Amino acid sequence: MSATAYLIGLGAAGAAALLGALLPARRRLFGAGVLSAAGCLAALVGAGQVLVSGHPFSVHTAEVLPLTGVDLTLDPLGALFVAVTAIVGLAASCYAVGYGAHGAPSRTATAMLPAFLATVLLVPAAASVATFMIAWELMALTSLLALLAEHRRRPETRDAAQWYAAMTHVGAAAILLGLVLLATHADSQSFAIIAEHRRQLSVPLASVVFVLTLVGFASKAGAVPLHVWLPRAHPEAPSPVSALMSGTMVNLGVYGILRVGEDLLGGGVLWWWLLVAALGVASAFFGALHAAASTDLKRLLAYSTVDNVGLVLIGVGAAGALAAGGERGLAGLVLLAALFHLVNHALFKGSLFLGAGAVQHAAGTRDLDALGGLARQMPATAVCFGIGALAISALPGLNGFASEWLLLQGLLHGFASHSAVTEAALLAGVAALAITGGLTATAFVKALGVGFLGQPRSEGARTAHEVRPSMLAGMALLAAGCVVLGVVPGVVLAVLGRAASAGLAGGAPKALRPGLGLDLTSLHGAIEPALVVVGLLVALVVAWGALRLVPRPAELRRARRAEAWGCGRELQTARMEITATSFAEPLQRVFADVLRPDHDLEVSHAAESRYFPGAISFHQRVDDAVERLVYQPVIAAVGWWGRLARRVPNGSVHRYLAFGFAALVLVLVVLA
Amino acid sequence: MTGALATLGAASPSLWARIGTSVLQVVAVVVGGPLLLGLMAKIRARAEGRMGPPITQGLSDLRKLVRKEAIRAEHTSAVAALAPLVLVASAAVAAAVTPLLTTRPVVAGGADVFVVVYLLLMGSVALALGGLDAGTAFGGMGASRAMTIGAISEPALLVGILALAVQARTSNLPGIVAASLAHPGWLASPQRLLALVALVVVVIAETGRIPVDNPSTHLELTMIHEAMVLEQAGPDLALVTLGESMRLALLLGLLANLFFPWGVDASGSGLVLLAALAVLAAKTAALAGMIALVEVSTAKLRLFRVPELLAGGFVLAVVAVTTGLVTR
Amino acid sequence: MRPGGALDVVQLAAGVVLAGAVLALWRKDLRALISVLSLQGAALATLAGVLAAHDGDVGLGVVAGVVLVAKGLVIPGLLARVVRADPGSRETAPLVNVPASLVTAAVLVVLSYLVAGRLTALFPDPLTRLAPLGLATVLVGFFVLVTRRKAVSQIVGLLLIDNGLALTAFLLTAGVPLLVELGASLDVLLVVVVLQVLATTMRARFGHVDLDQLRELHD
Repeated sequence: MSATAYLIGLGAAGAAALLGALLPARRRLFGAGVLSAAGCLAALVGAGQVLVSGHPFSVHTAEVLPLTGVDLTLDPLGALFVAVTAIVGLAASCYAVGYGAHGAPSRTATAMLPAFLATVLLVPAAASVATFMIAWELMALTSLLALLAEHRRRPETRDAAQWYAAMTHVGAAAILLGLVLLATHADSQSFAIIAEHRRQLSVPLASVVFVLTLVGFASKAGAVPLHVWLPRAHPEAPSPVSALMSGTMVNLGVYGILRVGEDLLGGGVLWWWLLVAALGVASAFFGALHAAASTDLKRLLAYSTVDNVGLVLIGVGAAGALAAGGERGLAGLVLLAALFHLVNHALFKGSLFLGAGAVQHAAGTRDLDALGGLARQMPATAVCFGIGALAISALPGLNGFASEWLLLQGLLHGFASHSAVTEAALLAGVAALAITGGLTATAFVKALGVGFLGQPRSEGARTAHEVRPSMLAGMALLAAGCVVLGVVPGVVLAVLGRAASAGLAGGAPKALRPGLGLDLTSLHGAIEPALVVVGLLVALVVAWGALRLVPRPAELRRARRAEAWGCGRELQTARMEITATSFAEPLQRVFADVLRPDHDLEVSHAAESRYFPGAISFHQRVDDAVERLVYQPVIAAVGWWGRLARRVPNGSVHRYLAFGFAALVLVLVVLA
Repeated sequence: MTGALATLGAASPSLWARIGTSVLQVVAVVVGGPLLLGLMAKIRARAEGRMGPPITQGLSDLRKLVRKEAIRAEHTSAVAALAPLVLVASAAVAAAVTPLLTTRPVVAGGADVFVVVYLLLMGSVALALGGLDAGTAFGGMGASRAMTIGAISEPALLVGILALAVQARTSNLPGIVAASLAHPGWLASPQRLLALVALVVVVIAETGRIPVDNPSTHLELTMIHEAMVLEQAGPDLALVTLGESMRLALLLGLLANLFFPWGVDASGSGLVLLAALAVLAAKTAALAGMIALVEVSTAKLRLFRVPELLAGGFVLAVVAVTTGLVTR
Repeated sequence: MRPGGALDVVQLAAGVVLAGAVLALWRKDLRALISVLSLQGAALATLAGVLAAHDGDVGLGVVAGVVLVAKGLVIPGLLARVVRADPGSRETAPLVNVPASLVTAAVLVVLSYLVAGRLTALFPDPLTRLAPLGLATVLVGFFVLVTRRKAVSQIVGLLLIDNGLALTAFLLTAGVPLLVELGASLDVLLVVVVLQVLATTMRARFGHVDLDQLRELHD
């Protein structure tokens, strides 16, 4: 039953892609949107049944692919990722109907969104090396096409696509190499048989496989220093595609690390997981810092994805390290917290990317320095974006707080593990969680306060209008998810617990008691977000009522509007407002050693006297320091080799034939 | 420590009694906050050789402000009206769940230290959004600076708390207080003292006292908090002032009870509560007095020297955790 | 040593020594650094004194007295004279800015916990378990030595290293032999005296004691 629902979902998403490509322009969007939304619902039902019952299903067909056939198995761990994808996909499908309706929806753009969605739904179910690699590469291909669909002629988009293609292919090659090593060792490409043979695997070989696949999966997840494609590709993609990339595709990097490290390799040794945690700490700090310094709304969101993936990886690494040290119950709890944060991130980041798309749609720009005051023209978008922004800042009553609290609890109780190096990793994890907490709050106060409050800073922002209901429905669905999981986080714990114990091969999460809040009975920790929300509402009403009760003359009861204080100047324009750049300036100065901003100050003088400046221009760029310090030298070296190699072919046919002949002889010599 | 929470749960006072205690805590913070500010102003004035305003000046100011007309800037949205209310509400909920007078406030099981920390963050976010809402230069500048200082004080805060939570094996506030009462030896342990220094630095930064911010400045360019609330007037300003003073009282009360937990009531009955209130007032007043004396003798730091202060707090917190690990 | 009053004092004193090293990175004012040094000296003397009283070891008691006089009073006093003589060099003028050096210090502390923790795991005793604090003090002192520019602040770094070594020695062997400690203290005292003379001469010749500018002599 669950298998049928899941396959129907896959098929519907695939059919939606066909419809998008074949239907006439007017019906295209609606047909593809409805069908892919229906596919998401069906996949959600299938995955949900696996998660609730805990029973995996398997499907094998020999017909679809020659030689290998297709193996699909959906266990609770994979089902969690399918369910998350289905929910974000549902919202993105609704949203895309309205999003495409403004221009002429192109065939590729309409078709690629559901096709991309279908591949993301497929990857977590793949149960053999061939199926997994085909699904993985299809996902890379469809996401690349979806990224290019809207603005393929923009140089930034082309640049982003090149980076993405290069990084994803290097990653896929590393994963393929690792999995092939495993498959040759087990003499089978089925994941189940590989997992059975894991005990015979030597530690060095297992480590090589783990590191190879980690490179591939971490680059998909966007972990520092393999994140460079992410802040380019996510902003340039059409917004529903960005939401899918950020909310679902990066998750599969985490899925891959868990599937290979815990399931296929059986948990391995401590340093693997310390490495994962170290990647997480670096990503969390670097991502949060760049998010706080970014002024492009979607770039900010992309860096914040790096940050949140980092937090999830801290959890995954800590869970793996604790499990390797024998603390399986606690490890299960930490992994549960990490998966919970992953779900929450999909919800709020999906809603934020869709909101950013709405802003770009309505105001014609996503540069925060040119936005402002959108809350008046786009109140519904502002509310959805606001919920996402407050949730990602981990304010109590929304879902980000629940998962960060759970993660903190797991890290805190790991200190009883008596392994010094694990304790150091946990301490680094808490410090990373702390610094990213503050930086994220700053970044999203900036996004919300500069983008939606204050006065409009450009004509586009002034004339913005609310977007179509179908787009709002997509955002509202995800924002509602943030509120529900924030107020009653206890409702998903059972499901997450099953996924976590599937991920850790039987490490059932310790100490969680079912309920509406989060209650770790034997660890002496609990929160009741619902009661906190009730308390907040009561306090709000009491404070408001107390103010109303103060005796005041009738004419003073209504709030009067007056001009803002401008140091005595009469005219207050939007040009005097603080911009996103200046909002981020103090932080940028504090962390100048890491961010390394470029400043350019030009002062021209008045003709009459050099003592009077005529015009002052200031330019600032905050480039990615990792890209500049790590990737640019590599690219330069590759370019140098390329130029060197270009001298080899000189146009002579004889020379080319000679190369072929020499290669043939060489192969024969090696074979002999 | 095991069983500290279990004893908390057993034979607990009735729900209504606990709600009553929590309401009493909120009232204590609402009234005590402005009084603490008045006390600090008085001590500073006396130390500088002035008479200073009466200690109840804060309450009189609030009374004056709430009767004034409500004025909001032209371009503001609903956020400007909501922000002061959210600030006060978040501080009130934090005060209700913190074990200030009793180790059994309402929802004792859910009274987690991280809930309190993130409730305070909620107030800061609300204030910063309110500062940006009017669309003026000062509001935005103040919000930017306040958020920056908040962001860099977070590591010292959370790692400092971690030092306490690792020692008590829980982050549940009543649990930590109960565990400290059960182990008097902890109070002089190096990790406690180091964490205390780290958290005092954070409290000074979070409440905007000298040397991080000068609460009595009125020069726009040097202000942090005052710049952010420049557009608030009348009842809104009353709420903001009240919320800020509540946060000060709450943080000082929390520090006092975490590090000097004597006098926190475990039974929750009437007269003992009054005694606990008196002890709490004395402890927080002593802390406030010390902060005021430090303020008199130090100059405000340049904004870009503040990271040094907070980084120092962070390192002391890390040292506290490490010391805790080697002394357990 | 059993957990109890004496152990609490020892733990506190060890914590104070490490906290002093962090304070030395934190504060730029040389006079503050010097009071940090005398605080550390007092803490070390207390630690040695408590250990001596606990074990009934008279030699260790004498060492405690020597430490108190040398590290707590004489050396800080000498340094204070150098600083008083040259009011222009009151700031330490670090090569690495203060927040970055503080974060480095945090990393060093965790590192020494990892390294020394592995060593002390061989002798799980409440005293040896504290050894990482001593090692961390040494590392932070070394960091001060590397990143501070003024001659006096370099002496402070050297003294921090010495205090860290003394702390480690007290914790690991429950007491350095009297002769060794006397010799070490005298050595350090000698270094301080030499540097004081050197600093005075440098100031007389060049008008400052900024070591970075000694390179100009070389060029």
